[in-house]
Amino acid sequence: MLRKDLAVNVFESLRPEFDRLKKRYPAGFESSLVLPCLRRIQEDRGFIAEEDIDGLTAYLGVPRIQIEEVLSFYTQYRRSPVGRWHLEVCRNVSCSMRGSERLLGHLCGKLGVQPGETTADGRFTLKTCECLGSCGTAPVMVVNDEYHENMSAEKVDELLGRLR
Amino acid sequence: MPRIFIDGQPFDARLDQTVMQVADANGIAIPRLCWHPQLSIAGNCRLCVVQVEGRSWVEISCNMPVSEDLRVQTDTELVRAHRKAILQFLTLNHPVDCGICDKAGECMLQDYHVAHNGDASVSHEPKVEATKFFSLSSRITLDNERCVLCTRCVRFTHEVSKSHALGVQDRGDHSVIRPAKGPGASPLEHDAYSDNIIDLCPVGALLSKDFLYRDRVWYLKATPSVCPGCERGCSIDVWHRKPEWALRSLDAKHNTSIVRVTPRDNPAVNGPWVCNKARDLARILERPRAHAPMAKGREVTLEAALAAARALIDKARRPVALISSWGSNEELHAFKTALGERFTCFVKADHVPIEGEVVSDELLIRADKNPNGHTARSLFGSAPMAFTPDTDLVLVWGEGADFAALPRGVPIVFLNAYLAPENGHADVFFPTSVMTERRGHYSNFAGVVSAFERCFSRPGGVVDAQAVFEALGVRIPNEAVTP
Amino acid sequence: MTPNRDARILMTFPVTATSHLLSEARARGQYVALEKALKTMTPSEIGKEVTASGLQGRGGAAFSAGRKWSVIQLDDGQPHYLCANADEGEPGTFKDRWILENSPHQLIESMLIAAYALQVRHAFVYMRGEFSGPYRRLQAALDEAYAAGWVGENILGTGFSCDIVIYRGAGSYVCGEASALITSIEGKRGYPRNRPPRLTVRGLYQKPTVINNVETLSNIAWIVNHGSAAFKAIGSPKAPGTRLISISGHVAKPGVYEVEIGYPWKRLIYDDAGGMLGGAALKCVIPGGISTKVLTGAEVETLNLDPAEVEPAGSSMGSGGMIAIAEGTCMVRLMQVMLRFYHHESCGQCTPCREGMGWLHRIIDRIVAGQGRMEDLDQMIHISKLQDGNTICGMGDAAGYAVIGILAKYRHEFEHWITTGSSLCEGRLECRASS
Repeated sequence: MLRKDLAVNVFESLRPEFDRLKKRYPAGFESSLVLPCLRRIQEDRGFIAEEDIDGLTAYLGVPRIQIEEVLSFYTQYRRSPVGRWHLEVCRNVSCSMRGSERLLGHLCGKLGVQPGETTADGRFTLKTCECLGSCGTAPVMVVNDEYHENMSAEKVDELLGRLR
Repeated sequence: MPRIFIDGQPFDARLDQTVMQVADANGIAIPRLCWHPQLSIAGNCRLCVVQVEGRSWVEISCNMPVSEDLRVQTDTELVRAHRKAILQFLTLNHPVDCGICDKAGECMLQDYHVAHNGDASVSHEPKVEATKFFSLSSRITLDNERCVLCTRCVRFTHEVSKSHALGVQDRGDHSVIRPAKGPGASPLEHDAYSDNIIDLCPVGALLSKDFLYRDRVWYLKATPSVCPGCERGCSIDVWHRKPEWALRSLDAKHNTSIVRVTPRDNPAVNGPWVCNKARDLARILERPRAHAPMAKGREVTLEAALAAARALIDKARRPVALISSWGSNEELHAFKTALGERFTCFVKADHVPIEGEVVSDELLIRADKNPNGHTARSLFGSAPMAFTPDTDLVLVWGEGADFAALPRGVPIVFLNAYLAPENGHADVFFPTSVMTERRGHYSNFAGVVSAFERCFSRPGGVVDAQAVFEALGVRIPNEAVTP
Repeated sequence: MTPNRDARILMTFPVTATSHLLSEARARGQYVALEKALKTMTPSEIGKEVTASGLQGRGGAAFSAGRKWSVIQLDDGQPHYLCANADEGEPGTFKDRWILENSPHQLIESMLIAAYALQVRHAFVYMRGEFSGPYRRLQAALDEAYAAGWVGENILGTGFSCDIVIYRGAGSYVCGEASALITSIEGKRGYPRNRPPRLTVRGLYQKPTVINNVETLSNIAWIVNHGSAAFKAIGSPKAPGTRLISISGHVAKPGVYEVEIGYPWKRLIYDDAGGMLGGAALKCVIPGGISTKVLTGAEVETLNLDPAEVEPAGSSMGSGGMIAIAEGTCMVRLMQVMLRFYHHESCGQCTPCREGMGWLHRIIDRIVAGQGRMEDLDQMIHISKLQDGNTICGMGDAAGYAVIGILAKYRHEFEHWITTGSSLCEGRLECRASS
């Protein structure tokens, strides 16, 4: 995942891409662009900053409150930076039945953080999440938006070792 | 014209109506929190449920279209059970703040709880906590614990005032109403209609900071009146202490204060809304007052002032009158009758838009900041103020005249309600009553006539302008106007 | 019903590293139906075929697809929209993912036929934001299809044009509900809408809109190719065709299996899915996503996977998200996981769900913490019943089914925890028998 320096105006750098995106939607669908544009901004910056909201409000012509409401409704949007590796462990039914609670405990112990926290060296942010739609390969983790399936304590150790 | 049945009674309906609207039009009470006649349908409170005859379930009535021969029941056992359940849900996390909440006495949740539930809570869980004093703007405070998320306030800012100032943050039972952020002050601060959300709020979540903790509504009287802030003439209620609940206070002001101003629904003029200027009327009407007639700054008796003024008028050959556009229909007619022949009259704009005030918009606010220019101009014309070299008396009625622009050396008779340096400069000065101290009528820009009723007695020493005109002019027998 | 009950409509090929590519999809016959539809059938003929086939929604509600489509007024001069529901948020469900990753062209072709039948110029696939892998697969397939001229302007020179855009969600279970899905595509919070109006009358941007589950749509190409009669010959009379069942939990071979409707439940669990881990006894099964009522192992082993049998047994095939639970699993902890989920996902719009989900969650947490009261159980049932049918969307009903279903069959576990402060099954969620 790219992380652009905070000083860079992420929104402006994405404007040409947003112009192309707009053309793929029917006329009058500007409001629809809120979600995909926010996703792209977060891909580059790692989170959504206030100036991104300002830029997007002006670009799409939607009320600012709409973007603020959207940001707080959907769980994938972040308003502040996270560690270099964003780890999410599913704790819904099937994953719990296949050991995700123990997995989470193992991760907390290994990283020395509780869910919601970031390691002191800024490498890992650990969170829990709900069903990821991959119950057949439980327990499942997400690392920087990619699924890691059929996890176990051993696989977690091996994974953490690879993530620098 | 479909005919529907509510509780067995037939009613004619229009195809564009919902069952709730037909019930409302025919005096059948269906409780609701989120529905409002001027806002889109939200259908989220679930309190307005009714039961269609033949069905074993209930449905909300605010979103139920009418159809020929539709039969609904509003008070079956199932409906009552569901209403009670919804109220249980609503009061699950609602703080028991009634003892300290301004809304007590005019709270829909209180009223419905007593009417449709009445039981203590069945929950053993601690209540969800949230922010209790969130400053939405310099005028409005929000208590998120009391909020029932009916979203009336949110819909108002999107659909009526179009400030798009409010929205819902987070989700589930952590949802909170929040204002838009962004550079500078919240858009709600600049929304000239923001305070309407206080009336809209069915509970004590949105409260006026100005009214906060000032008084209990059951001690207050709502006197119908008209807002003088512009020529729209919105219908308002002026709230003040009921005479039978007068405070025994060292300061008499407590019993003669405007405690708050709210809109009075008037489909012909303003609907259920007013702008914030109406809410702040006390700032205009309760400025320091003039209390005594004067001659060149010296206090005199009313008789002496009238005699002096009469003498000046009798002597003058080219008297000019600057007519107040805040005069009531009655006062304006009285001047016309008593003195209109004697004076060359010009209608004066007592008030002009001040710095920072909205001049006009597409909703209610009009640029003419005077309530009765319409009647004044119909009686006295629209000619711009002009003095001739032979002007030998100026009668100034009301505020807003530029005394520096009056012809030098010409005697001035001045009628004004408020304390002003000019009062002392006039040859004769009369301290006049304000609209809350008498009954009268204003005609708005479209000619709609609205009445304002008396809230308070005139302070001692203050006179009605109408009485002064009648005393100064040729008296014609006419209907006595009850002061 | 076919003799061996093993008809296949979707999982008709072995999955390899390349089986999703256009070249291989073409070799399997993809886009033949599209050509047939565009060149030899009218939109209303296709609509009639879909209705005649008896195809039911496979997202959970099982509403007749043809009947949903029939509300769309052809030639009404308005834009119509089609959305494939790829939100797949119901816990236990992962079968649409199989189609998105392994047979994206079947979905694309089916969507194009549906768009033609419904006079849709712009179609969307609303995909849950977490599905990064399936998104890449589907987008790559769309790129292939555009390049080959199957999607876009003037397809096959027939004058029919259609664009398909993948709209990615951002983390919200309720956006799998059709009206919330549309509101999400409009760039807003995923708040469900009250009906009326139906979405087929006023949906996306207030225009007539059809939302169908990914699996439902993916059947369309087959129906056009083989005809509605052939489709009806598969499965059961009232529920023709096959279902993709995603089975997980304490089975040895969790995964997606395609079964003809009417397939013996026992066979799916013990043959196809390899039976229970470590040979454990089957305690119970959640048939179709956690919003369906739990059935005991004994009940399940006597039934076929046919709504005509599952519904009289007191449950539903739902989304096809089946979870098999082994003996020794604590149903109290299981309910705690479910209620935490519903509480987290409630959008907060309507009173019963907003307040009720939090209430249920706090009660179960209190029971697990050893501070439960006997009255709590009836109160949970009371809350669930009050939500049922009284909310804007089906989530209110859903949590209720989970609570009422589990309490109906395993109340004694809750009573035990309340009286002793501990679980009958040592609070276990993992399979006791597996090492």
